[in-house]
Amino acid sequence: MDKKTSECQVIVVTSGKGGVGKTTTVANVSTALARMGYRVVVMDLDIGLKKLDLILGLENRVIYDIVQVIEGECTLRQALVKDKRFPELYLLPAAQTRNKDEITPEQVKQLCDQMRPEFDFVFIDCPAGIEQGFRNAIAAADRALVVTNPEVSAVRDADRIIGMLESAGFQDIKLIVNRIRPDMVRHGDMLSIEDLLEHLCIDLIGVVPEDKSVVVSTNRGEPIILNNRSTAALAFNNIARRITGEQVEFPTFEEDSFWNRLKGLGRNLFSTR
Amino acid sequence: MLDFIKKIYMRDDTSSRNQANNRLRVVLTHDRLNLNANTLNTLKEEIIAVISKHLDIDGTPEVRLITEGRNTALDISIPIKGR
Ligand SMILES: Nc1ncnc2c1ncn2[C@@H]1O[C@H](COP(=O)(O)OP(=O)(O)OP(=O)(O)O)[C@@H](O)[C@H]1O
Ligand SMILES: [Mg+2]
Repeated sequence: MDKKTSECQVIVVTSGKGGVGKTTTVANVSTALARMGYRVVVMDLDIGLKKLDLILGLENRVIYDIVQVIEGECTLRQALVKDKRFPELYLLPAAQTRNKDEITPEQVKQLCDQMRPEFDFVFIDCPAGIEQGFRNAIAAADRALVVTNPEVSAVRDADRIIGMLESAGFQDIKLIVNRIRPDMVRHGDMLSIEDLLEHLCIDLIGVVPEDKSVVVSTNRGEPIILNNRSTAALAFNNIARRITGEQVEFPTFEEDSFWNRLKGLGRNLFSTR
Repeated sequence: MLDFIKKIYMRDDTSSRNQANNRLRVVLTHDRLNLNANTLNTLKEEIIAVISKHLDIDGTPEVRLITEGRNTALDISIPIKGR
């Protein structure tokens, strides 16, 4: 199938703090876009600690990795792993036994330029931290998605990352709040979406609730968006739609109605399928 | 009834959500300016000292950071004694 859009978008998913849900976001949003018919490649830049292949369930198909492409041991085409479910989705795996410092921002840019004509979206899974791996991951990106959790240390790191992205010239930085628990917000035990927006002052593109089925789908190596009943699945699907420019209403952040609205939206979306 | 209880809950300044918000306000302002609480205090004392060399200060001077969006300003308010 041909590309759906003329311009390819390179999108980095980053956070500063580790373990907030970057890889889960990349796997699900890219799968959702591929399901809509876009041509998508996900690039794992968490070199030395790769996980994207596992979350996508593609670990047994990986032959080459990004460092081998850069060092000329194989071609880009040879290294790209085709997804099991969606023929428009590809993974460019990270190297497991290498070091983040072995590649440079310039090399990442060149790789992305090679992929732009062929794909609608290139997603970059950024490693935690603010060092070389972060600089490599943002070098080629046109826009950035910052993932955070409603928790002080994650918000602090998100703020730092937003500042660094702004200094690097990024105009399009959007926030994803992952692992929110509306029941805890309601009881005054967790920061709310409004709280986070007040602190971070950037636009919101997604709110993903804490959802046990994320762990289950990770165990199975199947992106959660393939599970119609999960609230996280709906949230990731909505992020994908917003990335394409579609206006998808957010549930009101009035804590009391949040959960119900989310459920209501879910029913509508899935019953029209 | 439930709503009533909730309202009391939310107004509670000691809820961990409120505490998190208060701590974040301070820490993000300091992070963005690469400033710590100590430097801010020193700055405050020095500003007041400079002013009081030339003018008589009346009441309580205030030197504080105010934040709007991702921007911060130093807000100095020093009441001066007139004749
Ligand atoms: N919405 C969610 N509900 C429940 N569990 C979640 C959710 N999002 C992520 N997790 C779990 O949190 C853990 C970390 O997620 P993930 O690997 O995506 O984070 P990361 O930011 O990529 O981490 P790292 O910085 O190590 O690369 C995983 O075990 C994942 O299953
Ligand atoms: Mg990760």
